[in-house]
Amino acid sequence: MSHPDVALGGHHAPAMEPSPFAIPAIKLAMWLFIISDIMTFAACLVAYGFLRNATPNWPRPYHSSTIISVLVMTVILVTSSLIMLMAVRAARAGDRANAFRWTMVTLALGILFAILHVREWFGMIGQGVTLSTNPWGTGLFGGAYFSVTGMELLHVIAALIALLIIGLGYKSGRYGAAHVENCNLFWQFINIVWMFVVPLVYLMDIAS
Amino acid sequence: MSTAGEQGGLGKYIVVYLCMLAVTGIEVAIAGSNPGGAHLLPIMLILAFAGALLGVLFFMGLAAEKRSLILFVAVFTLFVMATINYGWTDSFRVLMGVPYAK
Repeated sequence: MSHPDVALGGHHAPAMEPSPFAIPAIKLAMWLFIISDIMTFAACLVAYGFLRNATPNWPRPYHSSTIISVLVMTVILVTSSLIMLMAVRAARAGDRANAFRWTMVTLALGILFAILHVREWFGMIGQGVTLSTNPWGTGLFGGAYFSVTGMELLHVIAALIALLIIGLGYKSGRYGAAHVENCNLFWQFINIVWMFVVPLVYLMDIAS
Repeated sequence: MSTAGEQGGLGKYIVVYLCMLAVTGIEVAIAGSNPGGAHLLPIMLILAFAGALLGVLFFMGLAAEKRSLILFVAVFTLFVMATINYGWTDSFRVLMGVPYAK
């Protein structure tokens, strides 16, 4: 069959290639995006680890107040992940009201997480940590810290925007359950990345 | 999330949720009791992978997908993780102050 025949369907049934992995194209696209984002985060975390390992006297600035704050942020994020699953279940059941409600609860928890994240940043800045300087004299610490946590925060903000758009769009009937499910995939991915950021950035450097 | 996963209650997901929180709790307990310990990194990495695996399999619903997708994601991700960690070795060269390999 020639290319025009395939494009126009020719005299036969339209040529349709089966969906790879038997999942919708929109979901496959999200998985491919997540896989590519894994590379970005892996590169960032490895770069952080590289600098930390190669720098003598890497600072250990995190006191109990920071660790408690990070624990609270983790509980918020993991809880939001569970709630987002409830939104997906409601969306798949066609329950638009509940799907919207749970999506907005996830959004609220995400905003709370972002606020605590920014508060953590201000705490570090208040201690004199900038991209190039810090009170402990290890110049690379600030840049490494802000780049890894900033990457996470950037993803959280992007996901919050997506949650808002998809939530409102699903409520109005513009988007379907597949969009809510895709949004869930991205939100869960952020949660999973945080599972690595907490131990590698914060817990490895608790002040003794 | 699969259709099969939806037919049951939320019980499985609540168990996963509690496990993920428990993993973080264990990490904090270990790191807090032994700050800067020599073997902290591998322990933290193992625990982080355990938590992440739970998240990917159940919260992202990969466990309920076709085997081919699970293999695709696993092989792709593990290959990237394994190869990117090759860069760590160079940090020891920097630490030892050796400018070039001899």
